[in-house]
Amino acid sequence: MKRIGKIAGITWAFAGLILIIILFPGLNGFSRALAKMPFMKINPNYTGGEIAFSDSLPGYKFEIRKPVFDGLWKERTHGFVQLDWRGDFPEKISDTIDFDRDGCNDFRVTIDTKTPETDIEPLHNKVGSLNVSTSTSYGWTLRVNISK
Amino acid sequence: MYKDQTISTPGKPLGKALLYTLPMFLITFMFLTGGRPDFTDTTQTVALLTTFMGMNLLYFLMHFTGKTDRYRAVIFIIFALSLSFTLIKNMVEIRNSMSFSQADIVECKIPFCHLVIPMMIIPAAFTKSIIFPGTIIGGFADISSMVVLWLIATLVLGRGFCSWGCFYGGWDDGFSRFRKRPALRKISDSWKWMPFAVLLMVALTAALTLIPTYCDWMCPFKAVTEFEQVTNLESGVKAGVFISLFGGLVVALPVMSRKRTQCSFLCPLGAVNTVSNKVTPFTIKIDKTACNECYKCVEVCPLFALTPDDVKRGKASVFCSKCGKCVDACTKKAIHFGIKGVPAGTMKGFSRNLFLFVSFLFIAVFSSGSIMFTVRSLLNLIF
Amino acid sequence: MADSFILGLSSGTACLVTCGMIMFPYLMAGTAGTRRIAIDLSAFLLTRLLVYLMLATVAWYFGQAIFSSAIVHTYLPGILFVVFAALLIWYGIGKNRKKACPAKIVRTVDNNRLVPVFLGIVNSIGFCPALLIIITKGATEGTLVQSYLAFLAFFAGSSLWFLPLPFAGKIRKREVIGTIGIFATAIAGTIFMIKGITLIVGGIINV
Repeated sequence: MKRIGKIAGITWAFAGLILIIILFPGLNGFSRALAKMPFMKINPNYTGGEIAFSDSLPGYKFEIRKPVFDGLWKERTHGFVQLDWRGDFPEKISDTIDFDRDGCNDFRVTIDTKTPETDIEPLHNKVGSLNVSTSTSYGWTLRVNISK
Repeated sequence: MYKDQTISTPGKPLGKALLYTLPMFLITFMFLTGGRPDFTDTTQTVALLTTFMGMNLLYFLMHFTGKTDRYRAVIFIIFALSLSFTLIKNMVEIRNSMSFSQADIVECKIPFCHLVIPMMIIPAAFTKSIIFPGTIIGGFADISSMVVLWLIATLVLGRGFCSWGCFYGGWDDGFSRFRKRPALRKISDSWKWMPFAVLLMVALTAALTLIPTYCDWMCPFKAVTEFEQVTNLESGVKAGVFISLFGGLVVALPVMSRKRTQCSFLCPLGAVNTVSNKVTPFTIKIDKTACNECYKCVEVCPLFALTPDDVKRGKASVFCSKCGKCVDACTKKAIHFGIKGVPAGTMKGFSRNLFLFVSFLFIAVFSSGSIMFTVRSLLNLIF
Repeated sequence: MADSFILGLSSGTACLVTCGMIMFPYLMAGTAGTRRIAIDLSAFLLTRLLVYLMLATVAWYFGQAIFSSAIVHTYLPGILFVVFAALLIWYGIGKNRKKACPAKIVRTVDNNRLVPVFLGIVNSIGFCPALLIIITKGATEGTLVQSYLAFLAFFAGSSLWFLPLPFAGKIRKREVIGTIGIFATAIAGTIFMIKGITLIVGGIINV
């Protein structure tokens, strides 16, 4: 029994040696395989959710993402909606938004991208306060808190 | 107290030590150059050769002198410093600041580190997604690569990852060596269970809030890497917490106690690695026939992994990070690197050689990128 | 709600190693079968739930009366959080923490059917720092329903630890679990300490 334990231990130690030797040359391959796993995607609370609506305007593109309410096992009552302006967007943004496309305007947004002062005027009680308003590498992103 | 005891020199003769270094020399050369050495850029060549020669010199000295921890600590501390330097330099060059902005979070551009792993497990199981604003694959410190690196390292080294792979551990390891003798001796070793409480709390809070709460609120290493821009009261409080924890657990307490207090009392990944220590083939064994129970090993252990009871049992506890400090300190050569299943006191040399090769290869290749980057940056700064 | 659940969950471990150890010998005493243990445990938990709901109501109405003044509403919750959180941290890291639970007085009750109910009452109004924190939270909530939800989350978190109580004898490293639980309580205290400080500083900034 002791002999078996000894052989098993040494075999496992050599297996460890092989694992470490192949780890670095194989890192790309292992990482790609892991990245394909179903849970290997960033949570919408960080990505901002999928694009639900997109509109091409002269010089820039405007996108509204699906509202994010993601919780651990069920949707939360509070979440946010993300809006993106991509490309050569105007210095002063002023728009009325219907983020859930129900034909009813939800909030009015005014952004002075130079200062960068942002005003949110809720037009519906499901709209809360400003979450994020920031310039990004692709343009401007706005996140507004909403509730169900 | 220990002067009357025999001081042994367990090292190898020069030729044998060189022979043992040769495989590491060849394999690190292959990995560091990617198999295609390019010496056209002088600065890059100098950085590469300095890193490569330095690492192999340390490995040679481990064999030549028979001391492990002394030379492990050198590369471990350099790794921690160079990684922080690399991160800070990148941040300052890109953003003119050590802090990341809301845009970086929105665009999921935050570098991932292994400390996030314990917090992403429950949300990954329930939401099938990762609760971190980083990149899944590609770019600097992507999630997939870091997870693979940690997973294999912890499987093979167990908590050895904390002394041979973690690019933060070098900070408190370094500070714990500042004083020759500890000013603070009496620390209850029940504190070593604290990382499990931290793990429990951060795993739960992260699952409930879908925010990596340890990174968001507790990580002391934010103070030497990157942190959220202070724009409001909350981010100000967070910055205060990071700096206080760094000052207390990474600097002050290690200096006072000669123990790695951040790793011992806070790190939640350390708790996970403690569990994986059960799986790893490598361990620290005590030959009870040679041990004179002087407990020098208990005194020097930086992670509270050895108690007099463990010494009597003949093996280090699961908290052991295989740093080798106790092995270096043992005047009777009773404590040694071992392989599970192999009885204590036997195959000492073989076990040590195998463990050193595996663990040193990991840290050498893992750290080489940031060390070379730091050397190159320093050379550019000087010349 | 998440912070109330976490507070309950963390303090629940400490509660288990102190008060639970009173409940455990009672449940294990004699030849109580699984059915009897389940009934007693249900009575114990139900009593705790009822007491918490009562406390939620009292705390909220009390809060409405106390926190009506703007200045009190701005500073007092923060101060209470800091004080109670400090007590919780002290409990977690203090060397001379009180190991006994007020529930031990129930041992004197000479009625087997009432013991779980008495244990539930004494356990839930033990006025440990965690309970004081949740009372403060309940008192500062906007609506009575929110106060109930905070207490419910606290109850759910702390009760989870009692569910495996009948199997406590089989847990090998009970002492280690107790130590981890007590440290977790101290961390929960730290979370509320930060919350309290943030409330106070926020109040100062906004005034």
